[in-house]
Amino acid sequence: MDSLILANIRQRPTRTLVSVIGVALGVVLILVNTGLVRGMLNDRSRRERGVGAEIIFSRPGANDILSASGLTLDIRYAERIAKIQGVQVASPIGKYLQKGNAGLGFELVDGIDYPSYSAMSGIKIVDGGVFQADNEVIIDAFKARKSNAKVGSEIEVFGKKLKVAGIYSPESGARVKMSLSALQNYMGSPNKCSWIAVKCEDPAKQEEVQKRINAELPGNTVQLMRDLPSFERAIPGIDGFIKTILVLSTIVSSLVILLAMYTTITERTREIGILKSLGASKRFIIGVIEREAITISLIGVGVGLVAALIIGWGIRTATTLQVEFQWTWILVAALIGLAAGVGGSFYPAVRAANQDAVKALSYE
Amino acid sequence: MPILQTENLVMTYHVGKVDVQALRGVNLSVEKGEFVSIMGHSGSGKSTLLHILGGLLKPTSGKVIVDGEDLAAVGDAQRTDIRRRKIGFVFQRFNLFPTLTAEGNLKLAEHIHGKEGNGNAELRREVLQLLKLENKMKHKPLELSGGEQQRVAIARAVINRPAIILADEPTGNLDSENSDIVLKMLVQLNRDLGQTIVMITHNPEAAGIARRKILMRDGQIVSN
Ligand SMILES: Nc1ncnc2c1ncn2[C@@H]1O[C@H](COP(=O)(O)OP(=O)(O)O)[C@@H](O)[C@H]1O
Ligand SMILES: [Mg+2]
Repeated sequence: MDSLILANIRQRPTRTLVSVIGVALGVVLILVNTGLVRGMLNDRSRRERGVGAEIIFSRPGANDILSASGLTLDIRYAERIAKIQGVQVASPIGKYLQKGNAGLGFELVDGIDYPSYSAMSGIKIVDGGVFQADNEVIIDAFKARKSNAKVGSEIEVFGKKLKVAGIYSPESGARVKMSLSALQNYMGSPNKCSWIAVKCEDPAKQEEVQKRINAELPGNTVQLMRDLPSFERAIPGIDGFIKTILVLSTIVSSLVILLAMYTTITERTREIGILKSLGASKRFIIGVIEREAITISLIGVGVGLVAALIIGWGIRTATTLQVEFQWTWILVAALIGLAAGVGGSFYPAVRAANQDAVKALSYE
Repeated sequence: MPILQTENLVMTYHVGKVDVQALRGVNLSVEKGEFVSIMGHSGSGKSTLLHILGGLLKPTSGKVIVDGEDLAAVGDAQRTDIRRRKIGFVFQRFNLFPTLTAEGNLKLAEHIHGKEGNGNAELRREVLQLLKLENKMKHKPLELSGGEQQRVAIARAVINRPAIILADEPTGNLDSENSDIVLKMLVQLNRDLGQTIVMITHNPEAAGIARRKILMRDGQIVSN
């Protein structure tokens, strides 16, 4: 019985291979994409937490503060916020969004006021020094490693070659930072920033501080860092993207199995006739074909899992992107692969089981 | 009571608008332990009769009683079930699973029958010995001669001790030497195990080994 299934799988190596690849492709599609999204979101939230602020102050109507680009907020607000009771540091930050270095995704550049930013986040220069001129930047250790940059190297920002003045640690906000005034000059917006990060003297009293800022400077957006919309929702279209990937991989895998099993049962018409002559019921014949398909999809799931791990490792090594696999998605991918096996082979199996026994036996 | 009985069996095939009368009222009765041969020209309805006896086809009208159960009165699923429990088929083309060894082919039949690896080891040994297949179990069909393949097919048909073995020209694809061996073994199965056998053949010599000969013409039994 099981030997019949295994024999069938071995009998047609090309068909088996194609089906396995079909299912594996679906698994890879799901795992790599969700892993990329997950990795990107975790990386971002880790670094945003590294800013060390509890409160974000921005222009009214600024709804996506963390990825907002452009300088629209007057930096003089920072001085006024700093004077409010309970505020320890208020640091103006300018954001600039540029295309990712590997042609993938995007990369943020922060314009910071180093003394206040460093006081708030606790970043330290571990190599080299702080930027002095407009054409100097500091980068974090990860960025330095990924772009093979050292103190004194040049990296590209705004399509211009800028010099790496120093390397800082730990990770906090954007990986590339320049002075806020330099960013203002580049963008032609003197005395402006994107938002102001506020650190409270006592984080437990952040709500009171939030109220006070609101009272003092009404009409602006004052949000607690912890209340910011979940990062998943902060990237527009991410839900739809993942759903598309899931549907797509289910369709691809099911179709490949359907096609493979369909050709298989046509080739094996006479064998199905023999099974019938031996008294095999329809359910038995459906079972044989389903189990063969399930075995193939299980192999596909295994191959896909290994391939996804290898691809994930490759992405992490070759780019600045992060890939984080999650058990939930591994489970989802495995279930989809399996469902493709069961679903894709169902029609061929039923068709096989319903064949006329005598005709099947005389099939050439 | 006969183990196999048909009453006024009629089978009409519909080919487009044409009706082909393959069986025109066949009355046949086979007792337990008999070895019956059926002869007749090509197209006389022999295979059709055998397929109906084994429940692969449903007759247009009439009765087919196999070991007390009427195959013509039940649905497809039940006919399949009766076939599983009571019938062993042997075909001209052997019809072994090419991907399985001889042993795998036998095991598959046992599995479908529903007694996997239990008390029939003795019968199995007896059958293999009788058919001289003890040393062929690990071979796949293509590694066996035609005669050996047909012996494996016979072993598969008999391994679950069906009420009847139905053989459709079992020597039709064999040379005379192998035909003789296979026929002798069928005789032995009939004699030593008391196996009931109904065999279609074109070969008068083959028919000669059966104790009872039936001749068919134009869908009817003309001599019995
Ligand atoms: N599936 C079928 N459809 C239509 N006619 C058939 C079919 N099978 C057999 N026949 C016809 O029924 C008659 C009996 O055929 P068959 O039982 O195969 O005879 P035999 O086995 O004696 O050669 C023949 O005329 C044959 O052409
Ligand atoms: Mg015939």
